[in-house]
Amino acid sequence: MSVLLQQLANGVVQGSLIALIALGYTMVYGIIQLINFAHGEVFMVASYGGLATFTLLPDDLKKSPAVALPLMFVGGIVVAVVVAVIMERFAYRPLRNAPRLAPLITALGVSVFLQEAVRVWYPNATSNLPYPKVFPEGNLTLGPVNIPWTGVLLVVLSVGLSILLQTYINRSRMGRAMRATAQDPDTAKLMGVNPDRVIVLTFIFGAVLAGVAGVMFGGYLSNINIDMGFQNGIFAFTAAVLGGVGSIRGAVIGAFIIGLIKTLAGQYMPGGTQYDYVWIFVVLILVLVFRPQGLFGEPERVRA
Amino acid sequence: MSTIDTTSGKRSALAPLGKPLAAVGGVLGIVAALLPWVTFSLNDGNWPDKSTLQFFDAPLAVTGFRWHVLLLGVFILVAAFAPIPSRGRVVRALGWGLAVISFINGAYITSKGGGLGAITAAEGVTAFGSIAGLVAGVLTILAGYGIGLEPVGLWKFKPSKPIAYLVLLVSFAAVLFAVAAMLTTGGVGTSNPYAGAIFLSFLGFAGGVLGALSGVGFVRWLSVLSEEHRVFSVIVLAACALLLPFTDAGNEYWMTVAANIGIYAATAIGLNIVVGLAGLLDLGYVAFMGIGALVAANFSGAAAANFGIELPFPVAAVIAAVVAGAFGAIVGSPTLRVRGDYLAIVTLAFGEIFTRSAQNDIGGISNGSNAIPGIPAVSLFGKEFNRELTLGAVKLPAGVLYYILIVLLVAATMAVFANLKFSRIGRAWIAIREDEDAARAMGIQTGKKKILAFLIGATLAGLAGAVFAHKNGTVSYESFKFLESVTLLAAVILGGMGSIPGAVLGASLLFVLPEKLRDFDNYRLMIFGLALILIMRFRPQGLIPDRHRRAELADEDVGGVPVDEVHEVPKEAKA
Repeated sequence: MSVLLQQLANGVVQGSLIALIALGYTMVYGIIQLINFAHGEVFMVASYGGLATFTLLPDDLKKSPAVALPLMFVGGIVVAVVVAVIMERFAYRPLRNAPRLAPLITALGVSVFLQEAVRVWYPNATSNLPYPKVFPEGNLTLGPVNIPWTGVLLVVLSVGLSILLQTYINRSRMGRAMRATAQDPDTAKLMGVNPDRVIVLTFIFGAVLAGVAGVMFGGYLSNINIDMGFQNGIFAFTAAVLGGVGSIRGAVIGAFIIGLIKTLAGQYMPGGTQYDYVWIFVVLILVLVFRPQGLFGEPERVRA
Repeated sequence: MSTIDTTSGKRSALAPLGKPLAAVGGVLGIVAALLPWVTFSLNDGNWPDKSTLQFFDAPLAVTGFRWHVLLLGVFILVAAFAPIPSRGRVVRALGWGLAVISFINGAYITSKGGGLGAITAAEGVTAFGSIAGLVAGVLTILAGYGIGLEPVGLWKFKPSKPIAYLVLLVSFAAVLFAVAAMLTTGGVGTSNPYAGAIFLSFLGFAGGVLGALSGVGFVRWLSVLSEEHRVFSVIVLAACALLLPFTDAGNEYWMTVAANIGIYAATAIGLNIVVGLAGLLDLGYVAFMGIGALVAANFSGAAAANFGIELPFPVAAVIAAVVAGAFGAIVGSPTLRVRGDYLAIVTLAFGEIFTRSAQNDIGGISNGSNAIPGIPAVSLFGKEFNRELTLGAVKLPAGVLYYILIVLLVAATMAVFANLKFSRIGRAWIAIREDEDAARAMGIQTGKKKILAFLIGATLAGLAGAVFAHKNGTVSYESFKFLESVTLLAAVILGGMGSIPGAVLGASLLFVLPEKLRDFDNYRLMIFGLALILIMRFRPQGLIPDRHRRAELADEDVGGVPVDEVHEVPKEAKA
């Protein structure tokens, strides 16, 4: 019983991480119907950006987590946003009216490029890099369940940021412009919405969330490698599809489901953690085949 | 309409200067070839003029890339004044060739010779060759724009059968010659410190000439001709490929590389059925090759094989193909309900499941990360395929038998592809690719046809995988990861979707370039990712586009305006 509860808690923490990434996928897909394959790499780059920020700090600041940690978040987020904006401007925008395969293949190219750029240019990126210990240490103990404080922070950040995002999109003027562009870009343009700006902003939001996720990933698992982007990107994409691509609420709930599947399958299914991937992909295939609109998507949205 | 405005806009600035600029560029190119290029001897010896492409011994006292520069200069002069169709495109292509050769050699000399002094003036010696060449190239490119880029004309000329055969024969022989030259320029691997530069500048020359030929409409005409006589073309092409071991490239190293390229080319052709013809994006395709390889490895009688049965290679290959085909049908079955990029994700998920399962040795057939080593070489008629071969007086290097086997494999897949493409099934696939709903309305059973595409594609990949297993002697899940799928997809796209020579050219480029550019080994994948982005941006239809109009990646306008011209419009409109 206590194992089950512990794994449920782990699943929720992993789900929060995946949710932060999945929001980026779902927003971009909602607006320009592009599977932004490179979004997982934005998350990875952000993690390295946070690490680089820490490395560049003067020694006395490194010792005070209260200063170092926020700076790492800023560093990671800035790197993620810069990469995402450049990517949107130079890789995706020229292809906005191209047939659908073209941007998808471009996204693959961007993904390979980013991963390789980090591998080649970041010092020692070929091996696992330890993440600095500036995060709160110790565990939150609730009866038989132990959750690291980083995990708690991750859940709080993830839920908080997604509520914030949801509110922004539903209430603000720009949020309305985003929804309008997602529904009908041409009409939105006639109503005075600048689609370029909306799309860039969407990429920026996704990148900010991925930036937070990247730094928190390092804090939670205490080391990072260049493969993390692809793996977690696929998980996040699965979550977005599961929840219904384009839906914020769906992405978050989908992410929690994926997190739970990952930990529970790792614990209870034959083969253990070596096969947790496989179960997630099986879920992905089943969802796409039997309910391609996802749990919360409208059926007509699938125009593939 | 606006397309025409943009070209005429460019024309108004440079039009009167077009021909004179081209003439100046050509003359300057010739001058550049005769100027010295290096101010001093480099540490690794003289800058190598020599490359393998030599008809005469140092005509006009120039060799190697300078000889190429000289040729390009003469071509530009001819193109400037001879009455040829779409002069602008021809001149532009030749100019690019000139610029690329000059730039690459200049950059290499600068970096190896320690600064700009190496290509300008130092220690009382002047060497402005590369700068003159670069200027000539840029002038010529500008001249091309000045003359104006009319759409490539369609040659109506239909030769009689013997002449057509002769043209095809000569063209394919030229291709063979170019391939041999391309493989051997700069030597093998790292033996020559300048191998990368020599190879790249040869590529610049070949690209420039090819671009000029395609600009004048010859390439298009040739592809129409070869499709009309496709049986003859395939036979001649296969014969040319079989002659490769008798050229300079006939050593063990290049036979091995060429055999590997062939395996991937055959796989790429299979993928081309799925992606190019049926328009179904498959991101996990290399898994079928992996399945074929695993099956063949387990039936090979290797010590690590798990079935304990040893089957002769042809039988094992057939089983491998059948098993891979069955998996193809299974993976393809979601296409009944899933379309477009969602399908891409499903195939990606299947591919990842395969990799994961093989890595963890599911069912005990892949040996996980230990792989299956020690697979014996293919042995037919008492001859092991990894030995050298003696034909009368000619001694052929080891690996040549594999090479021949693989050439036959590629020829067979090409024949399958070509026949399918022009059959009822192929037309159904193309209809599905263009508009699935319309195809269904026309009475095509889209579900069946799509699964069939997956099945056939996977069968070909399984066959290639079986050869791969025996050729390399080891099968590990590492060879069948996501990146391999992306590389194959890139080969298909780079060459041109739905086009047969395209897939072979794409696979060759993607697998030869890394062999040639050992200097850049660390940057290989990065360049690859960048290349994917750039191709999609600037030439989504690929190097050798399929003649048919395609809705998936690049549609040629009704008036025959290629898509890259259409794309330029918004840029101009904003300015």
